[in-house]
Amino acid sequence: MIEFRGVWKSFGAEPVLSGVDLTVREGETLALLGPSGTGKSVLLKHAIRLLTPDRGDILVDGVSIPSATGGQIKAVRRRVGYVFQNAALFDSLTVFGNLALALDDEDGHRPLSSLRPEAAELLRRVNLDHAVLNLYPGELSGGMRKRVGIARAIASRPRYVLYDEPTTGLDPVNADIIDALIVELARDLGVTSIVVTHDLESAFQVGDRVALLTEGTIRACAAPEEILASEDPVVQRFMHRRFGTAESTPPA
Amino acid sequence: MASRSPAGEPRRVLRAPDVIGAARGELDRVGRGALLAAAIVATLPKPRKYMHASLAQAYHMGIRSLPLVLFMAAVGGALASQQTGAQFTGGLPVWVTGSVVAAGVLTELGPVLTALVLIGRVGASIAAELGTMKVTEQIDALYSIGRDPITFLVVPRVVGGMMVVPPLVIVANAMGMLAGLIVGMIAIDGLTATEFIFGARFYFRPWVLFFSVIKGAIFGITITFLACFMGLEGRGGAEGVGRTTTSAVVATTVAIMVLDVLLVPLLKVA
Repeated sequence: MIEFRGVWKSFGAEPVLSGVDLTVREGETLALLGPSGTGKSVLLKHAIRLLTPDRGDILVDGVSIPSATGGQIKAVRRRVGYVFQNAALFDSLTVFGNLALALDDEDGHRPLSSLRPEAAELLRRVNLDHAVLNLYPGELSGGMRKRVGIARAIASRPRYVLYDEPTTGLDPVNADIIDALIVELARDLGVTSIVVTHDLESAFQVGDRVALLTEGTIRACAAPEEILASEDPVVQRFMHRRFGTAESTPPA
Repeated sequence: MASRSPAGEPRRVLRAPDVIGAARGELDRVGRGALLAAAIVATLPKPRKYMHASLAQAYHMGIRSLPLVLFMAAVGGALASQQTGAQFTGGLPVWVTGSVVAAGVLTELGPVLTALVLIGRVGASIAAELGTMKVTEQIDALYSIGRDPITFLVVPRVVGGMMVVPPLVIVANAMGMLAGLIVGMIAIDGLTATEFIFGARFYFRPWVLFFSVIKGAIFGITITFLACFMGLEGRGGAEGVGRTTTSAVVATTVAIMVLDVLLVPLLKVA
């Protein structure tokens, strides 16, 4: 379980998160929605201490992330896969190099040849051919880069996968492929996921629950149909602006 | 009423909170630099984690820099020889040229010109590479897969720099001396190879060469450390990476020059 408890974060004088409380239950996929620039990615980065809160706590399986020791945080990071917004693949390494880094331990104990079948299996899981292993990230399309990013995130067989804007910058077809992949991985690997997005369609497609982050706090967090039925004017405004009219319904 | 610049825009007034804020920011930066240095030192007793990558880094740094190091050293040695000839001919015996070139090349030109080449060829490249990795979240990605960027990226570069600069300095010294000899024989009336070598040996003490090599190692550590540190501090997209790279080159050049002055007393130890 991942819990955010009263998380505050400012950059300079500007507060971004103002006491975020959010619990992600075991096995669920939580879609974290919100307008651009409201701190969704900032919140996600707190889960593996890429950022530390000014106040508040984040618990992953009961481990307090801000106060965790170096060894604890490394162990947590092995249990949490993180998919970055632009994939953040290591561009000086091939796809195999990227996956091998995530598969091997820090001391590089395992021979590279033994990692190749596992890397190919990871690619198969994200519907990519093993020939991609020899390509550099610069030779991949946007959708392929995202899928390799997902493959790298699941390399350590994590319990949690955090997706930071996984469909941003993709055309609708590729966005659908990534959404389907998120659902498939959650089902097949049994992972708990947080999907940060500002794409309402994507959120409703992948999320068991949907949370709306506005003005630094969680405004609503419920099942998709409850969010749609919410009478909160802020939630309504966000939904209507996205779908165009109050009567429109999001895709299932 | 707010004063205005000639362009008509309000002139920025420097206020105490701004100054304190900027000073605090710089102190934070020094603190982060100290923490990075401490983390590097803490990793050093575990060579298995970085030695292979360090050797690869040293090889690439050496190969990339060698032609320019040789060229700069040759120019430095040639200039030292020519200037000595022009200044001293007639007043002092010509073999003094050998002494002056040896002193100039071994104590200053060899290590400093090598360092300046490395700042341009290696330091800028490291700062740009790590800066790009920072702004494209590749550094965060390393953390996310349980890898320590300091062990993985910084230590191999710093250790590689420490390993490769001393041999480069030795090669630069040899090239500088050779160029000094050849140009001296061409440009200075009456100077023979025997006299030049006599002059060089007259000045030479083993400590001078050792001093040159120590300087090289210190410069190697300084260049790679500052380049890594400033790269990791990078922010703000492509423009930010450009700024980071420029700042790294300027800061490293200043640091090398200041260190060069501070290290002079070391020459007098022996």
